[in-house]
Amino acid sequence: MKHRSASFVAMMAAGALALTGCSGSTGDDGDVTLQMVETLTNPARQEILQELIAGFEEENPGVTVELVSPPTEQALTTVQQMLQAGNGVDVLEVQDSTVGPFTSNDWLYDMNDDLADWEGWDALTPNAAAFANQEGPTYLIPYGFYGLSLFYRTDLIEEAGFDGPPKSWDEMIEMASAINDPSANTYGYAFRGGTNGSSNAVAIITAYAADEIDPENAFLLADGSSVFATDEAQDAMDDYLDLFTNGSPPSSIAWGYPEMVQGFASGSTAFLLQDPEVIATIRDDSTLEEDQWSTTPLLVGPSGKAAQPLASAGWGVAESSEHKEEAVALIEYLSTGEAPLTFAKGNSLVPILTSAEDDPFFSEGPWATYVAMNEDPDTYMNVIQPRSVSWWQEWQEKSDRELQSVLLGEMTSEELLAEWDTYWSEKYASEE
Amino acid sequence: MTTTAPGRRAAEPAAPADPPGGRSNRRAFTRRRALTIGAFLAPAFIAVAVFTYYPMLVGSLGAFRTWTIYNVADQPWSGLDNFRTILADPLFYGTVMNTIVWVVGSIVPQFVIGFALALWMRRKFRFRGLYQALVFFPWAISGFLIGVLFRWMFNSEFGVINDLLLRSGLVESPLPWLASPALAMPAVIIANIWYGVTFFAIMILAALQSVPDELYEAAALDGAGKVRVFWNVTVPYIRTTLALTVLLRTIWIFNFPDLIFGMTAGGPGGRTHIVTSYMIEITQQGEYGRASALGLIVMLVLAIFAVFYLLATREKKEAYR
Repeated sequence: MKHRSASFVAMMAAGALALTGCSGSTGDDGDVTLQMVETLTNPARQEILQELIAGFEEENPGVTVELVSPPTEQALTTVQQMLQAGNGVDVLEVQDSTVGPFTSNDWLYDMNDDLADWEGWDALTPNAAAFANQEGPTYLIPYGFYGLSLFYRTDLIEEAGFDGPPKSWDEMIEMASAINDPSANTYGYAFRGGTNGSSNAVAIITAYAADEIDPENAFLLADGSSVFATDEAQDAMDDYLDLFTNGSPPSSIAWGYPEMVQGFASGSTAFLLQDPEVIATIRDDSTLEEDQWSTTPLLVGPSGKAAQPLASAGWGVAESSEHKEEAVALIEYLSTGEAPLTFAKGNSLVPILTSAEDDPFFSEGPWATYVAMNEDPDTYMNVIQPRSVSWWQEWQEKSDRELQSVLLGEMTSEELLAEWDTYWSEKYASEE
Repeated sequence: MTTTAPGRRAAEPAAPADPPGGRSNRRAFTRRRALTIGAFLAPAFIAVAVFTYYPMLVGSLGAFRTWTIYNVADQPWSGLDNFRTILADPLFYGTVMNTIVWVVGSIVPQFVIGFALALWMRRKFRFRGLYQALVFFPWAISGFLIGVLFRWMFNSEFGVINDLLLRSGLVESPLPWLASPALAMPAVIIANIWYGVTFFAIMILAALQSVPDELYEAAALDGAGKVRVFWNVTVPYIRTTLALTVLLRTIWIFNFPDLIFGMTAGGPGGRTHIVTSYMIEITQQGEYGRASALGLIVMLVLAIFAVFYLLATREKKEAYR
């Protein structure tokens, strides 16, 4: 008997183990619990989100929102597993690079019908409305935009005898080379050679070829051929390498985001091409005074234009959600009135509402640059990069590695552009 | 040595007398006993089967399928296509060469320094316990974090390593550690040595403490010098532990892309990319089938080391018998 009960206990334990992984469902008292999963997380952001969620819960009694914040490195894998399992996600963060795989797996819900009468559409900036795709299908409402602007050290350029920041890549090369003084550990430009290094190379290439590129796909020209085969791309790469050799720290071959920001904040480099999130980072940095730095619009090419690659992310609803109505209501709340502005301010993002232009936070100081670029779309063309293609991540890693090879002198810029042209042409050809 | 085992086993049944009732009763007892043992073992077996072998099997089968993030529901069989793609990729061969440099370059200094530290810690001195704890400490930090820390230390402009080298006059201008194809691999290896020395130190110290003092006393009486004692007493006595530790560490270092990821992400130009960090890169691209194929290749290579490891453990067990 004793033996039998012992076996029984062991069997139960085994059974319990085998069953782990099956989860429960929502409460049966009519209340709804929404699971909201973010994929780019940090404590400050969580705090802002919790505040906004509290506001939503107050307006919608009976609805509770649980914020799930997996660590950023594992967030994508986690959310993919949740979506694949088909439960545990109602509202989720969708990035422009994940909307492709998520929709091809039918994981995202098309909110277009639910949003047909949404009053918030009119308040969105044209970019935000375009990303949300008002004509449908609407898989996400963006919460903000990233966009490049040039950060510059007012003190360093003044010391070097310049009146103001550069407006074009040409002026940048001239000023960076003048400021560059390796013996004093002072350099012109915080060159990006490490992770995501190719994105800045593409920024200069598309600025030089701005008159020819297709704004809907900045990697292609109007005739469908790739931008990398143009003469402008070669000119851009030549100038870009000139900037690296004569105006940047040699070790910047390995520089990624942290080194670039550190280089700029510490006074090692005078210029930095970055997203607006750096504004918050530098403001928090006690080593820099407000009057030591500022921002200026993205640099233009010989055509007098710059191509601003719009990068965005937003909130979407999972196809598997059993509470789509409440989930859409939460997204509407996050995209209307004060909520999106609070989120954009707290996370240093270009806001999605036109009303932001009247907000002193965005219309003054370093943020004013973004308003200025927005007001002049002929010069600062908004272009879309093909981030939703299935080979985007492969492209990023491949192009970063090859750009490093060029910086190391193991590959010429001609070979690099030929390789990139072949890569994109073949990828698109194989898709047809 | 193996002859003793059957003898011992043969003697056992003779000791307890058969219970009254004869053979059938005894068989029932054995069956029930076997069931109990089985039931107690079941949770462990099920856990290992469900959480280790099942995912491993599914992952391995993925190597023979077209399995990408763009269509996770549909995974058609693709035979050896994934393996062909990997073997046709020139970057793969670069990562293989890098892996060899990374493993050998890390393990030899780790072993030598770890051995030296162990020999030193074996002697009794004040705060030995505290010192041992401090030596072991790096082992408790995540590899990725160590990578990030060393990334800043090796930074050309703001890093402490260049600062020390410049101040001491060993170099005249800052070395572009992580930006130079010649220096990047040594830099990640230095970080890995710092990290891995502790494991050797602790393992070898434990082995050293098992060497009986009598052996040293006898050797001293015979007039053996320190070097002689080291080579003829210490090393032969802990030989198996040394072999085991080296084999185990070889497998771990092979499988340790964390540090590289935090420090260089495989750069510059792929010079610090090892096979396993390359595998992560392919996974990030959403090419799960191809990553599985590479994983299988890695597993086969490591299986060879694992066989040696098992052989060495058996030798160790027999040595203790």
